[in-house]
Amino acid sequence: MCAPVKYNIRGPALIPRMKTKHRLYYITLFSVVLLGLIATGVFQFWPHSIESSSDWAVEKRSVHDVPVVRLPADSPLPERGDLSCRMHTCFDVYRCGFNPKNKIKVYIYSLKKYVDDFGVPVSNTISREYNELLTAISDSDFYTDDINRACLFVPSIDVLNQNTLRIKETAQALAQLARWDRGTNQLLFNMLPGEPPDYNTALDVPRDRALLAGGGFSTWTYRQGYDVSIPVYSSLSAEVDLPERGPGPRRYFLLSSQMALHPEYRSDLEALQAKHEESVLVLEKCTNLSEGVLSTRKRCHKDQVFDYPQVLQEASFCMVLRGARLGQAVLSDVLQAGCVPVIIADSYILPFSEVLDWKRASVVIPEEKMRDMYSVLRSIPQRQIEEMQRQLLCRAARRASCPESWPWVHGKEIINDRIYPYAAISYEEWNDPPAVKWSSVSNPLFLPLIPPQSQGFTAIVLTYDRVESLFRVITEVSKVPSLSKLLVVWNNQNKNPPEDSLWPKIRVPLKVVRTAENKLSNRFFPYDEIETEAVLAIDDDIIMLTADELQFGYEVWREFPDRLVGYPGRLHLWDHEMSKWKYESEWTNEVSMVLTGVAFYHKYFNYLYTYKMPGDIKNWVDAHMNCEDIAMNFLVANVTGKAVIKVTPRKKFKCPECTAIDGLSLDQTHMVERSECINKFASVFGTMPLKVVEHRADPVLYKDDFPEKLKSFPNIGSL
Amino acid sequence: MQSRRRKYLWLIFSASWLLLVLLGAPRLRQLAIPPSLRPRTLTSWPRWLDQELLPNFVEPEELTKDPCPPSCSTRQWQRQRPGCLMETCFDTSRCQSHGFKVFVYPVGLTQPISEIHHKVLASIEGSGYHTANPEEACLFVLPGDALSPQLLPLWNGGQNHLIFHLHPGSWPDLGFDLGQAMLARASPKPETLRLGFDVALPLFPQSYPQRGGSRGQLAHLIPPPGEDLLAFESQLDARVTGSSNHLDQTICQPSPRFCLLQKSGPRALGFSDNILLSCFSFQAGCIPVLLSSGWELPFSEVIDWGTATIMIDERHLLQVMGPALQELPPARILALRQQTQFLWDAYFSSVEKIVHTTLEIIRDRIFRAAARPWLLWNAPPGGLLALPTFSTQPGDFPFYYLQRGSRPSGKFSALIWVGALDQPPLKLIQEVAGSQHCAQVCLFPNWRGFPTPTYSHRGVTLIFLLLQKSDRFFPYSAIGTDAILSLDAHSSLSTSGLLSFVVWQSFPERIVGFQTQSHFWDEIKGSWGYTDQRPNEFSMVLMDAAFYHRYYHVLFTHFLPAPLRDLVDELSECEDILMNFLVAEVTKLPPIKVPQRKHCYNLTPGLPGPPRREQPSRDCISKFASWFGHMPLVHSQLRLDPVLFKDQVSVLRKKYRHLERL
Repeated sequence: MCAPVKYNIRGPALIPRMKTKHRLYYITLFSVVLLGLIATGVFQFWPHSIESSSDWAVEKRSVHDVPVVRLPADSPLPERGDLSCRMHTCFDVYRCGFNPKNKIKVYIYSLKKYVDDFGVPVSNTISREYNELLTAISDSDFYTDDINRACLFVPSIDVLNQNTLRIKETAQALAQLARWDRGTNQLLFNMLPGEPPDYNTALDVPRDRALLAGGGFSTWTYRQGYDVSIPVYSSLSAEVDLPERGPGPRRYFLLSSQMALHPEYRSDLEALQAKHEESVLVLEKCTNLSEGVLSTRKRCHKDQVFDYPQVLQEASFCMVLRGARLGQAVLSDVLQAGCVPVIIADSYILPFSEVLDWKRASVVIPEEKMRDMYSVLRSIPQRQIEEMQRQLLCRAARRASCPESWPWVHGKEIINDRIYPYAAISYEEWNDPPAVKWSSVSNPLFLPLIPPQSQGFTAIVLTYDRVESLFRVITEVSKVPSLSKLLVVWNNQNKNPPEDSLWPKIRVPLKVVRTAENKLSNRFFPYDEIETEAVLAIDDDIIMLTADELQFGYEVWREFPDRLVGYPGRLHLWDHEMSKWKYESEWTNEVSMVLTGVAFYHKYFNYLYTYKMPGDIKNWVDAHMNCEDIAMNFLVANVTGKAVIKVTPRKKFKCPECTAIDGLSLDQTHMVERSECINKFASVFGTMPLKVVEHRADPVLYKDDFPEKLKSFPNIGSL
Repeated sequence: MQSRRRKYLWLIFSASWLLLVLLGAPRLRQLAIPPSLRPRTLTSWPRWLDQELLPNFVEPEELTKDPCPPSCSTRQWQRQRPGCLMETCFDTSRCQSHGFKVFVYPVGLTQPISEIHHKVLASIEGSGYHTANPEEACLFVLPGDALSPQLLPLWNGGQNHLIFHLHPGSWPDLGFDLGQAMLARASPKPETLRLGFDVALPLFPQSYPQRGGSRGQLAHLIPPPGEDLLAFESQLDARVTGSSNHLDQTICQPSPRFCLLQKSGPRALGFSDNILLSCFSFQAGCIPVLLSSGWELPFSEVIDWGTATIMIDERHLLQVMGPALQELPPARILALRQQTQFLWDAYFSSVEKIVHTTLEIIRDRIFRAAARPWLLWNAPPGGLLALPTFSTQPGDFPFYYLQRGSRPSGKFSALIWVGALDQPPLKLIQEVAGSQHCAQVCLFPNWRGFPTPTYSHRGVTLIFLLLQKSDRFFPYSAIGTDAILSLDAHSSLSTSGLLSFVVWQSFPERIVGFQTQSHFWDEIKGSWGYTDQRPNEFSMVLMDAAFYHRYYHVLFTHFLPAPLRDLVDELSECEDILMNFLVAEVTKLPPIKVPQRKHCYNLTPGLPGPPRREQPSRDCISKFASWFGHMPLVHSQLRLDPVLFKDQVSVLRKKYRHLERL
């Protein structure tokens, strides 16, 4: 309270003295600041005058403002397309070099307007579709604006529709492009090739070695592994938002919606309709539409008027018949509507057929067999039709995000895969709907192969400081005939392992690995010392197992090398009261886990455990010092989709006096912890991968009425 | 008041300076740095102001008008276009009535043919495709490739004809006009191959085994540490030439991790390429690194080579190969090694497999609607053993349940072989139909003495089938479940059937049974034999009580050739063995044994006693082994018992109590 009062008293006295001086200061300072701000503003909003235009990402200009290029009548013409071109003869991969991401770089020539000597334009400058396609290229990771680093060049000369351009002049325009170089590594997009009356199936513009992404290729014009077949874009379905229809039966079985059909085909179709009045619908052009209705959006049958393309959703199968051209825009409509296309166009190369499996989403019928079409289609089971519809849905979803740039989105990947084939996208990624990917399991050890017995197994003993017990385990395990190496993982950092001379003398190599940290996951590390496919994980206190039991376990593993083959069996149960999973170690009729205290498994699972364990499970296990065995059971069951194998009836492992269920397991808190582990892992995996089975593996003659000494594995303990 | 104003002024003043610095500094810095050193921003394709006004590339009206000139009628079209397609050069109507039958011209018609062509012809003649009647034939195969086909009576411009051209790609072309005939050609150039019409074959030497062939040698799925990373073709080649171009075990020994294979070069005329591809890489589990300089890979129409090889454009080999191979994740290496082995065993290990694969590719083209999907060709057991006659949905086959996320149906059908009895085995029927998993009971054969079906128990239907003995494994449409329980009238299932069905659901691709036998090599007689006197192991289960998938009925009927099935009709006791051979050939695994009560035979008066298993005619096992070209049976030493089997715990806790009293 004091200070302000004081200030107030002194204030008035000071100001009059300083006033004029201050004012001057203030005015000069303010004008400096103001000037600075104005200057900055000018910098900010007037960029082109200072910097080159190339620094500015988005340009707002009109298509009509682009520079005009005059093509002299005698300017060079490229040679005709070379039919023998393949990637290794006509494509220059040196431009593509090695790139850490295995991605090609694409350059787009800037837009120009080409006119001939008389100033008449060579073609429309650019169509809406081609503009969108180029925008998509430019927005992708593949794009570069540096012509020197590019591997693929896309001319901005629009050749989507051959009818809109002058062939010779367009070819001349192509030939004068900066990096034309006989068309090497140039990519042209064309959807409507050919012209009346013959309608060639590939673009007629002379293009030398340029790659062609074309709609309507036939077997004879398509250069396998070089060209890319693309669909013909249809604005009809792209502009209409068709609702998604799930798989299932439809109102009509077969529908034909094309308007320009050859009379021969039309009479065939009409005959078909006359025969199957109810299920076949053949639509025609409407003749008496009122003014203002778009004729392309309507189809008629007798007096009925149908909305197009909506009507396509009412049929299971939709016809795509060859017209003058092989590639029909109706295919895009049909696919968008989720109707299974029936393609009747001999020699037609289906869009992206190099990677898309059309067998799964269409029916192709030879033109000669058109009359039998109905019976062929009827013989397809409904289940398979629904599978096709599902496939179409999945493809439509992938397309929907970018209908216009679809040719590019697939095309770039196809070309990219050709240049870096070792990093290519797999068949499953192209063709499997996401639902299949979720429900299916692809076992990493899919080859049915019984490993040779001679290879033997490597025993890995995890130990901390129980040397006496460890030595006993080593001695016991070394009696197993198929043991080929013994690895002791010494997990105690405070104490050195016993001297070499103290270790038991055994017939196979014994190696001691010292670890940097006392972690349970050390047991599952893929040590270089493991040279066999089979690994036996064994605790340092498992002294009850006989050599017969272990050898038999190895034999069982050889028959099931992709599974965990172990001795102590456990079960997981759903606790209805608590609504969660529960761990069970009682004697039950079922098994879903085997403990890795003693279990055989494939070495590959060590790699998976160490490097591919989902979520934070690995750290969680190391932090809690528990449940590494449950984690391994989850991991293996999840990647293979298969159950464990429990071998032999053995229940006691540590000492003859122990109760059948080993000491630790009786502990109530231990059981709670183990149940927690199961719940934790199930939530990380997002599912319960463990499989429950009711069997265990015994030697063929176990407990049979047969002389013991004639049995291969007589010494199998029953407890 | 003045001081407060002064404070405000200072505040505004400093704020403006701050603004000035913030806005101005980056600009000034840019001006200070020469343009060449500045970080570049990408110039993207411009967003045109009038892009919404741009014209469409074609007007919708124009598309729907699409004038269709006379040339678009089918016949006109065909006349105009040269070249062959399945649609234009192949008469599929020939294949409709008798199915896919292949006629082979007698060898005597033309000049002598080479050994390898003899093997090709023998592979067809010994198979289920073969027909001796040209009227029935869908496809005609020429003996050899050096003759004037115009002399052949049924040439017809080459329509429906197939020629095996087994010389390397650089070999001169055939000396005659192919016409409409298909060409199956070893390592062709892609330019000369008629897409979707000709077939690309691997190149194989004269000495190639006709059937069987050596199995894959892969022992380590994961390359052991210290293994060589890469072997070059030249290293491998030295060993080939050293052994007089003969393909044998010794040259296929070591397995480096990757094998570099190259097509072009001085050895283009020799047969190095494909042999190396198969021998060194495939058989030994070495992953082929293909320097693709534009060669058509064998059977590329159906085999997805990207799953088994690493393809690199040879022109940027040095830039790419090191990183590409080193960065390959272990999971991919594991998959590649297994896939190479699978492809070798499924399609390449013998002349017969190569020929049959060729024929199956053509069959898939003819019967398009019933063609094999990708997975059937590219996952074990492969296209020759996964028949599309069963289904074109991979999820229906026992091999792909996990991959497709499907499972077999939860019921089984019992097939009871009654034989020449006076009365149906009512007790057995009751026993079987009493199981909660039983959907239907089929009795066969049926004859006049049998009463009409009257039995109905909890919705289980009883069906009588009219059959011959070898038709025991015919794919009856009446069988409505995935699981089949095969029974003899004499067998007694007791309730151990329940456990075996539960076990079968875990192993749907194998046979699960009770009584077992074991095959062995008889040194003295120098032939295969089988016995039940080696009880510590087994390789076959008897079909008088066994569960298996109904797909094996399809395979038994359509995969095995008629002569083999006729042989089974003649020799008793052999059909069990043949079925075991077949399943082992497909799965490469042994069957599964479950425990069973002893004295399983039903000794009711009126029924004859259990048939005595005579010392089996060893003929059949040796004959089967020679037809398969190798011994597919695999031994097992284990039996799957219930978890608490014979444990010292109260019987009341056990689910399968009846088994305790064995």
